[in-house]
Parts: sequence; structure tokens; C-alpha cells
Amino acid sequence: MTLPKFDLLQPSTLGEALEILSTTQNAQPIAGGTALLVEMRGRKAEPGVLVDLGRLGDLHGVAPAANELVIGATTTIAELLKNPHVTERASILRDACSTFASPLVRNRATIGGNVAQGSPAGDMAPALLVLDASIELRSVRGKRLVRAVDFWKGPRKTTRKSDEMVVSIRIPLSQTPWLSSWKKLGLRKADAISVASAAVRLSLTADGKCEGARVAVGAVAPTPLRLAKSENALVGKPISREAIAQAAAAAAASSVPINDVRASVDYRRRVVEVLVRRALMEAAWEVLT
Amino acid sequence: MTDPVTPKTLPPHHLPPLKQIGKPLRRVDALGKAVGATQYAADFTMPGMLHAKVLRSPIASGKIVRLDVARARALSGVACVLTGADLPDAKLGTDMPGQSGRAARTGSDAPVLATDVVRFHGEPIALVAAETLEIAEAALQLIDLQLEPTPGVFCPEQGLMPGAPNVFGTDNAVASYKIRKGDVEKGMAQADLVIENTFFVPFVEHAYLEPEAGVAWVDEQGTITIRVCTQVIEHFRTVAKALGVPQNKVRVMGTMVGGGFGGKEDVTVEIFLALLARATRRPVKLVYTREESFLATSKRHPFKITHKTGVKRTGRITAAEITMLADSGAYPYLTPYVLLYATGMAAGPYKIDNVKIDSVAAATNQPFTSAFRGFGGPQAAFAYESQMDEVAKALLMDPLELRRVNYLKTGDTTVTGQAIRSAAWSEECATRALAALGEKTPDTPDRKVGRGFASYFQSYGRIMWFHDTSRAWVGMELDGTVIVRCGVPDIGAGQSNSLCQIAAEVLGVPLERVSIYSTDSALTPLAGTSTATRQLYMSGNAVLQAAGVVRASLVKKAAEMLGVSPEDVDLADGEASVVRSPGSGAARASSSPSGLGGGMPLADVAARCASSGLPLAHLAQFNAPFTEGLDPETGRGDIWPDFTFGAQAVEVAVDTETGEVEILKSAACHDVGRAINPAAARGQIAGGSHQGLGYALMEEYVVKDGMTQTPSLSEYLIPTAVDFPSTEAILLESGTGVGPFGAKGIGEPSLTPAAPAVANAIADALGVRIFSLPLTREKVLAAADAGKNVVKPDRHW
Ligand SMILES: Cc1cc2nc3c(=O)[nH]c(=O)nc-3n(C[C@H](O)[C@H](O)[C@H](O)COP(=O)(O)OP(=O)(O)OC[C@H]3O[C@@H](n4cnc5c(N)ncnc54)[C@H](O)[C@@H]3O)c2cc1C
Repeated sequence: MTLPKFDLLQPSTLGEALEILSTTQNAQPIAGGTALLVEMRGRKAEPGVLVDLGRLGDLHGVAPAANELVIGATTTIAELLKNPHVTERASILRDACSTFASPLVRNRATIGGNVAQGSPAGDMAPALLVLDASIELRSVRGKRLVRAVDFWKGPRKTTRKSDEMVVSIRIPLSQTPWLSSWKKLGLRKADAISVASAAVRLSLTADGKCEGARVAVGAVAPTPLRLAKSENALVGKPISREAIAQAAAAAAASSVPINDVRASVDYRRRVVEVLVRRALMEAAWEVLT
Repeated sequence: MTDPVTPKTLPPHHLPPLKQIGKPLRRVDALGKAVGATQYAADFTMPGMLHAKVLRSPIASGKIVRLDVARARALSGVACVLTGADLPDAKLGTDMPGQSGRAARTGSDAPVLATDVVRFHGEPIALVAAETLEIAEAALQLIDLQLEPTPGVFCPEQGLMPGAPNVFGTDNAVASYKIRKGDVEKGMAQADLVIENTFFVPFVEHAYLEPEAGVAWVDEQGTITIRVCTQVIEHFRTVAKALGVPQNKVRVMGTMVGGGFGGKEDVTVEIFLALLARATRRPVKLVYTREESFLATSKRHPFKITHKTGVKRTGRITAAEITMLADSGAYPYLTPYVLLYATGMAAGPYKIDNVKIDSVAAATNQPFTSAFRGFGGPQAAFAYESQMDEVAKALLMDPLELRRVNYLKTGDTTVTGQAIRSAAWSEECATRALAALGEKTPDTPDRKVGRGFASYFQSYGRIMWFHDTSRAWVGMELDGTVIVRCGVPDIGAGQSNSLCQIAAEVLGVPLERVSIYSTDSALTPLAGTSTATRQLYMSGNAVLQAAGVVRASLVKKAAEMLGVSPEDVDLADGEASVVRSPGSGAARASSSPSGLGGGMPLADVAARCASSGLPLAHLAQFNAPFTEGLDPETGRGDIWPDFTFGAQAVEVAVDTETGEVEILKSAACHDVGRAINPAAARGQIAGGSHQGLGYALMEEYVVKDGMTQTPSLSEYLIPTAVDFPSTEAILLESGTGVGPFGAKGIGEPSLTPAAPAVANAIADALGVRIFSLPLTREKVLAAADAGKNVVKPDRHW
């Protein structure tokens, strides 16, 4: 199939882009196009106007501030993967980028596109959830900051309004060191959609007490999930294999996966437990051994 | 683990030294591909060209109650819309591709376009040609197609049940075979143990890089010319029959093919293009999308295979009773022959005196199945090699030891009674492949490591009662360069290069001095199909013959010029020189100023041949041995030219919590007879193994009630480059094949052992066997659960 007919607009300022989105019927931003073009070709999306974000310099790049990391929406996965600030201050995001698609796709796909796409299996979401990230939205009406936990609403549904754009992802930087781990299970080693994924972050005291925990999973519910029950199984207690096993079991219990050609409900629920357990074990490894 | 397998010494054999053959020379097609200069079928355009699209059935089984194309025809920019009503007699002969010309099996034609009923999801119904692709797509939307679903057949067992709907023809049994050797009941009675298991393999998609594509036009002589990616340029005959035109009025110009694997062995876009070009008198282009390629073309056959094996305590197999049920899909295509191959290979490379095999293929309202690299061999091998390991397990015997007791040797007969005439180095191949795995990787708590291997034998060359032939033309130009003309379609496996290397060897020139023109049904001598691992064997021998005749002219003239007898002349490095033949008194030629190595430049010899009327070009035809078919009651007969033998061994790590399987090591050892170009042979093994590992672990074309559930590469997963390590290729060269210089075939065989090797390795790791492909994470996890308390037998490798 050829692509459906569309007009392509290439604004050179954010203001112009927001203006177009607010005044044009059936207009949709396009960043890397790795999700949108696939949908258009399959007639799952037929935007009349594509608004190319490629010329908006403000939306691109990683800016480290004192208390947060600001990642422009059109920063590509490949760029995140080699960005030293990301590696140093949000290493779990880097880890999630390292298992993302393949080099070809990583060179085009953007973090903003991944977030806006709202796929339950999107690989940026679990990392952003455990990093307490916020998504900055802008429209001609103004700007708002939405916490990642409040952003995703259902398969391909987000809180973003059609005239709003994701302009940045903001990751707060904590003073205390956190341990983290990312696990993704796909059906092959590259270019694989997650069948289940897990991101965890732990803050442990010197004697191994868990002061803070973040657990998030992907592809096992209509949205990416941050799992309070799993976190509660850990916080305030000395980290232990038992606590980790409880947290992992809670992850499986909180999952509401689907059956599809890739995997069954049972399989997804079972492996998400394994992934959460392994991620927690890996994060806490030095303390546990 | 402490005592790894020692490779078995090869039997004594002798290979004469050669100059061009056996060298990993840079392939003649490499540069064009590397720099992107090679023009594939879809890269081609012509002035005034139209673009075609095909309307396909959205359901698997139904009646066409309305098909009105008036609105599509009326759309501005549409040049032509064709339906079955416009071509009442157009049939696609789905049988016997290419040059054999035997009568087709009755009822094995498919309608080119469905007229009253549709039999599978994706069946073609109407053709559109328009000024642009967008207009052609829009025209499809304007076709008023109404279908009334009818009950379908969605599994072969159902198809064979009394009262099942008839998919096609008079009954759903598309083909069946019987093999009877010895007395299977007696054999079972002699056995100490009888082991029975049933195995399943799924539909598989070829998934080559290049979807089907072509451009057709009618030339100034009224010849319908089709430039297309195909494995079979002889389909010009199929096209001529479908269109009702003389065969010399259709020309197929093949292109370099971006992967075939059997999927371009049947007609794909050719007839559609020919019909539209004839109707519009304009060039027409048709390129399948990936999704259309999935829907429109054949799949590898799903099989259900049951093995009942009688065996002595010593490991000697006394009897094998095998049943096979294959899914033919909606139309026969090559099913009868795929089933025949599978039946002939069903018992594996083992000498078994008492055999009973019954096979049947049934029609269903599912994707049609046809050729796929291995042609029934991989399905058979998954079953027989899984079964061999199960037999070994039941006997508490080492799997290699069990096979050692039973391997076919030269002179033994296969299940059809055909004697093995070439080297049968199964044991040598298996021990080398296993030894190449080296030290065993230790288990970790959630990762169990297992090893497995599989042996196989597989025919190369077409069934001999197809009376296969090939032709090639070889000529030397006056500057000493060489031209080969041969109808061989190059499907990326190095077909043309091997022919050039053979010509170079025979004529004594470096490979760079050889050019080839290939794959044009009008201008290059017909060489038959690039299928059945037959081109090196058939066209290689044709080139060998043709080049031999040219060589004779050159040698004769050079002898005259050098004043020696022809036996004392050798051609090498672009020169004719004098060599001391045994017993002759001739001395080496004194150095000639213009020669590279002290001989006479071949250009000088060629010029003298030309001026004295000695032929510098020759067209040769090579005929395979012609035999009759199998006896229908006993399945006895000598029908395959020869067999390739080999083995693959793998080490896997199984994640017992997620079911993920990682291939840690993989090694394959094949007796290729003679590696014409070892780099190309290794390339075939690397690719065949990767494809086979994909068959093992992930590939499954899922069909539910006739409807495709894996419509694109997003759902249908094939392995990427990083999924498996590269397979170490070990080439053995017995020099005993029927190909040129003793070559056997490796194109298809390289895929065959991978899947059973992985299945056996997983069973070794877990102590529990999985009986169906692919070995998905979910199946492996279930096996891991079941294997928690299984005690695994000790093995020394
Ligand atoms: C082969 C392949 C492999 C893939 N593998 C993975 C994988 O491993 N993991 C994974 O998570 N995904 C994967 N994907 C999906 C896709 O690549 C990602 O979701 C990617 O991050 C999308 O980013 P993009 O820039 O290409 O978005 P686009 O396709 O340009 O846009 C996606 C959606 O977001 C909207 N959008 C884009 N940018 C903005 C913005 N700044 N503000 C508001 N809306 C916006 C678009 O309108 C569209 O609806 C894969 C895709 C392919 C084709």
C-alpha cells in the first residue's frame, strides 16, 4: 500500500508548530515516523496534515540542569544511548535504549514519539516511570507538566490533547545514589516488541535497608504500569530475596495482559514476575551477596 | 564432557589439484551488489509504464456472488481492469515447472483469477493497471465484490474425513505414496523395543528480502516480454499456455533474484503482467508489497509425522513404520513432489531393512504450499532426528552411538531400494560437528545447557524421471577472454559464479576474464530451474562439457604452434604452455616474451583458431540419467541422482524461567563433494543454518480458520543477524558427487539439520522433548516445568 494522501508542513519555530496544531483539522506531529508511517501505510492513521518536528531545534538534545535532566522530545534513541549525561544520571534510560529496536530504527525513533505513541509495550515508559519523570506538554493555550504515572491512559491513549505537543521529558535528579536495572523480553534479540519488560530503581542504605523503590512494567496491561504493591513489598525493610520474591509476585498479580499472536496471558504474567525479580536481584546484587 | 568426541578420520580419497576451482575467489556478482549497481526486478522502469494491483479474496472459502468492476474501469487514469470473465480459459499449471514437459496431474491447474469460488485468503480475483500506483489502489476500492462464505477445510485431517467440503477437484487427497521394503511386521517382532512418536511442523514463509516484482511489455515483434525475479525462466511456457499464445511469443528475462528459497519457483506475477501488457499494449509493472507477498505466494508444508521404530538392544533398527500427513493448501502446486521427497527421505540416512511408509497430502482452504529450501527434507529430518534421540534415550544409549550402528554407507540401499553410489560420510560429519563445539559451557541456576546434533541426507538434482536437462554455451573471444551463456537464474547463491569458475578452470584463465550472460529465455540456452539444488550439478556439467570442447580447439592449435603433441599442452593463467606429460620427452617451452609465466598467451592461440576455422564456442547439453518413477505399490525405484550427507551440532542455553533459548555454539559439517568456491559454499551453510535455526526457534506462519494471523514482518518473525552466532562451517570434499569435479549440492541441504539439532539440544538440556516446531518460549517453558525432576542421562559430549 502507498501512504494515504497528506500535506507536509515543516515549521521552523515551536510557536508556528503549535499554531498549526491548534488551527488545522486532522493535523498530527511527525518525529522519526517509525511508528506513524507504519500506521499510515496500514490505514490505522490517516492524518491530513503532517507537522514535521525535525526543524525545531528547541525540541532536540539533552540539557543537564542542577536538579533535573531535560530531554528534548525529538532526541533520538541513538543519541540518548551515547549521551554521557543520560549514562551518568539516568542510566536505566540508557539501558532501555540499548535494547530498543535496532540501530537503523534507533537512528530515527525519538523519545517524544515513543511517549506520545502510548503503546503499552513502549520501551521508554517503564524507565521514565521509575525515574519519576514528567512530560512537558505545550500548546497555544499554554504549558503543563504531567507526571509519567498520569500520562498513559490506555492502548495508544494519553492525556495529550490533539493540539498539544510533547516538548520535553524532565527527569529529576536525586542527591542519593539509586541502583537500577532494566529487563526486556522480546521474541528475538533485535527489532522485537516487548512481550514484557521491567524497570526497577532502589535506594538502599549502607546496611541494606530499602529506603525507596520504584517498580514499573511494560506490555502486561493496557498501559505501562508503575506498581505500588511491588514497591510496598520492599520499602522500609531490609532488602532480601524474600522481599524481592514478594514484590515480583505482586507484579504478576497486578498485571492484566492480553493474548495475542506474540504471547499468551499466562506467559506474559509469568515472565513479568521473573523479569521484576531478576531486575531487583540485579539492582540489589552487591548488597545481597 | 571430559572425553569430547574425536573426529573420525576420513576414508582415503584423492582430489586432483586445480587452479580456479576450490579457491574462495571474489564472486562475479559481488561488486555490483556491494555498490548497489545490480538492478533487481523492482528497480526497472520504462517510459509510459502502467502500475498494476491485484484484488484478492478477503476470506478463505466462499462463493463470488457479485463482481462488478464498472466503477473501477471508469476511474480516470485506469487503463485496464481484468477479471476471470475476461479470460475464461486462463489456467495456471501448478505442476512440474520448467522444462520437463510431462503431462500435468489431472486437475492440478489453478484458475489465474477466481471466477465463482474463492479457496484461500488472498486468492487473486481481479487485476488493475493504471497510470499511477495510487490510482490502481483507488480502483481496487471501487470494485464491487460480494462474497458468500462457505464452509471450509482448515486442517488436513478434516479434509480427509468423509463428508468434508471439497476444496478442489474430486477429493481432498492431493497426493499419496506408499513405500514397502522388507517386512515391517517381522522387523517389529524382532525388535527388543518399539518407540512411537508424533511430530508437527508449521507453515513457514520464505520471507526473502525481495518481494515478487516484474515489468512486462509487448515488443515490436509481438513477443510478450516479462522482466521478473524468478527461479524458473521456463515459465514462459506456463505463461504462453495461460494466455493461449505460442511459446515462442513469450520471453522471460530473469533478473538477479533477491532470494528465492523455492518461493519464486512457481509463477508469481508473470501471468498477471502478461495479461495486462497484452490488453493495454503498454509496459506494466507489478511489485508485491510485503503483506501481499505473504498472502499471495506459497508456504512450506505443515506436516504431521508419526514414527514407529523397532530397535534391538544393540541399537540396530529392525523396522520403521512412518506416516506423514501434509497440508497442501488450496491448490496442489508442487505438493505431490514435495511429498514424494519427504517420503523418500522419511527414514533418514539409516540402513533399515523393513520399512513401511504411507504419506498423504490433503487440500485445505489455507495458503497453498509448495517448494521451500529442502523440499520436504527439513520436515522429514525434524521428525527422524528427533525420533533417533528418543530411541537412544529409551535404550540408554549415546545418540551418536545409536546412529553409528545404523548410518547408511556407500552401497547400502535407501527405503526405495536405491543404492548409495557416492561417499556417505555421516559419521565423519557428525563427529567433526560435535568436536567443533569444544568444551561444554557449564549450567547456571536458571540456565541449563544442552547439546544436540542431527544428521541428514538429502538429494540434490531433480527426480530422475523428470528427465532433467541443462544447456550452456561457452566461447572464447579473440583477446582470450571468455563468455558463458546459460539460462541459469542466479538467486543469490552464486549460481553464475560457479559456472564462471568452472569455465575458468577448464580454459586456463583467471576468473576475472570470464563474463556470464544468464537467465534470459530468448537469448541464453535454457538451463532449467534454479531449484532442487540442481544448477551446479546440471549446468555445471553443461559448462564443463562446452568448455571442454573449446579447450580441445585451443590445445590442438597451441600444440601445433608450440610444435609438441596436444597431451603436452596445458592451459593455465591465460597461457598455453608445454608440460612434461608422464612418459613424454617434451621439455618446458622456452620463455616467450609476451607470456606471463613463460607460455603462449591464449589470445594468440584463439586468434589462430579463428583464422583456421577451429570452433571457439560450443553449446552443450547435459542430461541427467533418465529413470522411471517409483513403483506405486512398493515405492521401489532409483529416482534421485545422488545425496548430500552432513550433520550439524549445537549447544544451547535454556532459560528455565522464561523459556528463552540461546544458541551458544553451532557447527555444521557437510560433505560437499567438491567446493567449487569454498567462500560461496560457506555462505550457503551460514545462510542455510541461520534460516534453519529460525525454523527451529521462531518462524511460524499462523493461520486460523484459513485467515492469516501473521500478516507482516511485525508478527512473522525471522531471525536477525544478532540472534544466533555464526555457524562454523566444516567442508569435507569426498570428490564423489555427480556434479562437476565431484561436487555434490549444498544449497538446500545446509538448512536441513539445524532444527532437529536444536530440538535435540533442548531435550538434552531439559530432559523433556518438544514434538513440534517452532520451539517457542512458551513450549520450552512448559518443557522446563515438566523437566524439573527429570534425571538426565550422562553423555561424554
Ligand atoms: C522495526 C521497528 C522496531 C521497533 N522497536 C521498538 C522497540 O524496541 N521499542 C519500542 O518502544 N518501540 C519500538 N518501535 C516503535 C517506534 O519505533 C517507537 O515507538 C518510536 O519511539 C516512535 O518514535 P518516532 O519518533 O518514530 O515517532 P513517530 O512515528 O514520528 O510518532 C509516533 C506518534 O507520536 C506522535 N508524536 C511524535 N512526536 C511527538 C511530539 N513531540 N509531540 C506529540 N506527539 C508526537 C505522532 O503524531 C505519532 O502519533 C519499533 C518500530 C519499528 C518500525
